[in-house]
Amino acid sequence: MFARAARALRDPGSSTIDARRASLGILAAFLAPALLIYAGFTIYPVIRTFYNAFFTIKPQGVVDFVGFGNFTALLFADPTFWKAVTNTALFTIVATIVDVIGGLLLALVLFARAPLAPLLRVVWFTPVLMSYVVVGIIWVWMYDYDWGLANATLRWLGLGGWEQSWLGQPSTALWSVLAAHEWKWLGFNMIVFLAALHALPGEVLGAAELDNCGWLAKLVYIIVPMLRTTVVNLTVLSFIGKMMVFDLIWVMTGGGPLWATETVSTYVYKRAFEWNTFDLGYPSAIAVLWFIIILAFIAIITRVFRQRDKLEF
Amino acid sequence: MTLTTGSGFAQVRRLPLVLFVVIYTVVTGGPLLWVAMMSLRTTTEIFKNPYGFPSPVHWEKFADAWTKSNYGTYFWNSTIVVVIAVLLVTVVGAMAAHCLARYTFRGNRLVRFAILTGLVLPPQLVILALFQILLDIHLYNTLTGLILVYVATHIAITVYILEGFFAQIPQDLFDAARMDGYSDFEIFWRVTMPIGAPAIFTTVTLNFIVLWNEFLFAVVLLTDDNKRTLPLGLMHFTGSHQLDVGMAATGLMIAMLPVVVIYAFFSETMIKGMTAGAVR
Repeated sequence: MFARAARALRDPGSSTIDARRASLGILAAFLAPALLIYAGFTIYPVIRTFYNAFFTIKPQGVVDFVGFGNFTALLFADPTFWKAVTNTALFTIVATIVDVIGGLLLALVLFARAPLAPLLRVVWFTPVLMSYVVVGIIWVWMYDYDWGLANATLRWLGLGGWEQSWLGQPSTALWSVLAAHEWKWLGFNMIVFLAALHALPGEVLGAAELDNCGWLAKLVYIIVPMLRTTVVNLTVLSFIGKMMVFDLIWVMTGGGPLWATETVSTYVYKRAFEWNTFDLGYPSAIAVLWFIIILAFIAIITRVFRQRDKLEF
Repeated sequence: MTLTTGSGFAQVRRLPLVLFVVIYTVVTGGPLLWVAMMSLRTTTEIFKNPYGFPSPVHWEKFADAWTKSNYGTYFWNSTIVVVIAVLLVTVVGAMAAHCLARYTFRGNRLVRFAILTGLVLPPQLVILALFQILLDIHLYNTLTGLILVYVATHIAITVYILEGFFAQIPQDLFDAARMDGYSDFEIFWRVTMPIGAPAIFTTVTLNFIVLWNEFLFAVVLLTDDNKRTLPLGLMHFTGSHQLDVGMAATGLMIAMLPVVVIYAFFSETMIKGMTAGAVR
């Protein structure tokens, strides 16, 4: 008993008033509400989606086991799926590059003490706060053939010959949606880069100036390498977001014209709720496959960047 | 100190920079101003001249949108769903984050891992099964069902942000509180919550904006017109009244205004909140 008291005095970690320990009941009381809701409405649905992917599920509870049938049909007999994959891949790659490079450039403009930088930072961030539905409707108007700002600006510049039905033709639709997407998200990447830039050690940049280092050299050899962590984070974040792009496409084109903007997510939605196949199994298989692909790519991206880490040092 | 961090860039010729700044500001702000002006003009006026200033100013359009075009209902549905969901996810998430950050117990890492997995789950992976589940438990097409789904899908980000902050609160404070005879819940309520207020404010901001704008879950889980949230209502209105651009613009303003007004007063907090998951 004395030994225990002595130990308690020396090492507060084992005393009875240790604030780091609690009874099982108290732990459960703290965790249960979150875990129950999370398990019921996130974990269980995920498991059920994986399960559903091996079945054909019609309304009125008609369920047939098809094994890997959904996956083989998907991979070998569904050109629309592959069209959606191609579009999503294009969209993801281009948008991620624009996000990262554009965000960095905008951040540099503000970092270089552009006039009114604090105000511009707030204004340039505004679109990030808008919902995809709002952004989508605004940009459908922007692209309107007759009175949209896009064509009006071209006419005003004397480039009336370049007028397009931006969202109405397969060749421009995906890129037009992408432009709207970037309009919404560039400000986000800008803010993240700006925070990282302000966290850079001032002495290094000062030393570069003493060495008479040009601004481009300074950007390429000093700033970008020092921002690597931020670049990786934003690349992964942007990649995940774009691989799942749904809202904006749904509002602006609904996947049309002629599948030109169909993405994996819009295809999942359509197969589940719009096609008269009324089968929840097949779209579940798409969602599962796509999730695995996203995870694989995240692993590859982080791997590649870590590899370069090793090479540099 | 004469060496300032940005002066290297400042030496770049100023004119292209200023020109770029002006153009980008017009590109970001222009469309929003355009919608704001259209929201105060009638459709006839807009089709006569899409870029004119509102004269006369049709303030009554907001009253019409609110009562005649059902935007009032959409607005209240959004408000109810978002306020309750944010409140719930904050309390429930803070309790879990406090538990994970403060107590050492068997399974701590497993629980943390399970919750944080939610950060990478695509909504498409849960939405089809959620549709089935909510049908099974008779919560399909109810605001209650949507609220539960919103809470569940935002627990991960809430716990992620709060746990990171709570873990940095000095342990001494908790030891002292325990010495003073505080119970576990008193410690949570009177130590963690007040000290963690800035982080809680951040998650509230982030969750509020994300949920106010949420579309995919709502479009799958709600069908009745009088249950629609604002994004669904906007989509429905523009879909069924494609030519009534003026009224649609008023609707857009009703959806944007709460966010814009809060942003005008708390821009720094909102910027911090929206980027909380990405900036460390």
